[in-house]
Amino acid sequence: MIQQLIALIIILFFLGRLFWQKKKDSISLTEFIFWLFFWLASAFAILYIKTIDSLVADLGFSSSGINILFYLGTIILFYLILRLRLRLEKNERNLTKIIRDIALMNKK
Amino acid sequence: MRIFCIIPALNEEKNIGSVVDGVKKVVDEVVVVDDGSLDSTGSVARAHGAILLSHLINRGQGAALQTGNEYALQNGADIIVHFDADGQFSVEEIKDIVRPIINDGYDVVLGSRFLGKATNMPFFKRYFIIPLARLTNYLLFNVSLSDPQSGFRAFSRQAAAQIKIEQPGWAHCSEILSKVVSGKIKFKEIPITVTYSKFGRSFSSGFEIIKDTIIGKFIN
Repeated sequence: MIQQLIALIIILFFLGRLFWQKKKDSISLTEFIFWLFFWLASAFAILYIKTIDSLVADLGFSSSGINILFYLGTIILFYLILRLRLRLEKNERNLTKIIRDIALMNKK
Repeated sequence: MRIFCIIPALNEEKNIGSVVDGVKKVVDEVVVVDDGSLDSTGSVARAHGAILLSHLINRGQGAALQTGNEYALQNGADIIVHFDADGQFSVEEIKDIVRPIINDGYDVVLGSRFLGKATNMPFFKRYFIIPLARLTNYLLFNVSLSDPQSGFRAFSRQAAAQIKIEQPGWAHCSEILSKVVSGKIKFKEIPITVTYSKFGRSFSSGFEIIKDTIIGKFIN
């Protein structure tokens, strides 16, 4: 119960930061919606952790619900890192193309 | 046959002048791609009669070579030679490396430091980094060549247009080999001489090359 309360306070803190960032216009609407959904889903998972436990058990997993959430979180993080890596690679290539075009235009 | 020599250079103000002086005697155009040097590499190259293309910021040797290739293709090159700026390659061997393209119909000629000519290659490079690079190339691209990391090579116009170098860093050597093989381009290796005045790339950069090659294989 106390653990759940602490987790919910942390989520509320991040939700507060999210609304503050949106108010400052430092994130886009799409990003805001994504993170709002993410934190609300996390809060929902914390509130209904027992239901998730039984759901996970029904699916045949031996771990508890919170463990499965951690596993899922790790998988999602790896996927996001891959996407970030690809995006970074694309930006690097675009930068090289710009630098190359400038070099070719300013031949001496 | 118009022969262009592309020389990527980074902070080579001490060597670039003599390299340009030597190379311009045996090719039609010398193109130095200054890859964001912090010294006066660009102005020295220009003063010695090279065409200068300047990268505003450092993008890596592979990126610099592709910039040079694009310039050469746009300006009517029939043969493009890649040559290092540090003076370790022999200018006299440029005629040897373009000969198979002119006389024998090859499209790519790769210089090899392991085909008989004497080099003073450092021990670690010869017996550790190069064998590891050979193994990586063989496992990833099924390419088996004596020298997978040589920077001295020549392309016909068609081959240069076909092979677009996308690896900005040192891994471009492996990328070129893999594209030569996958594109079924007619190529050969010839012996070259290399005189090492220093180790060349650092020991850790050998691992960087392998890492970039592996990542490049899966991202490209």
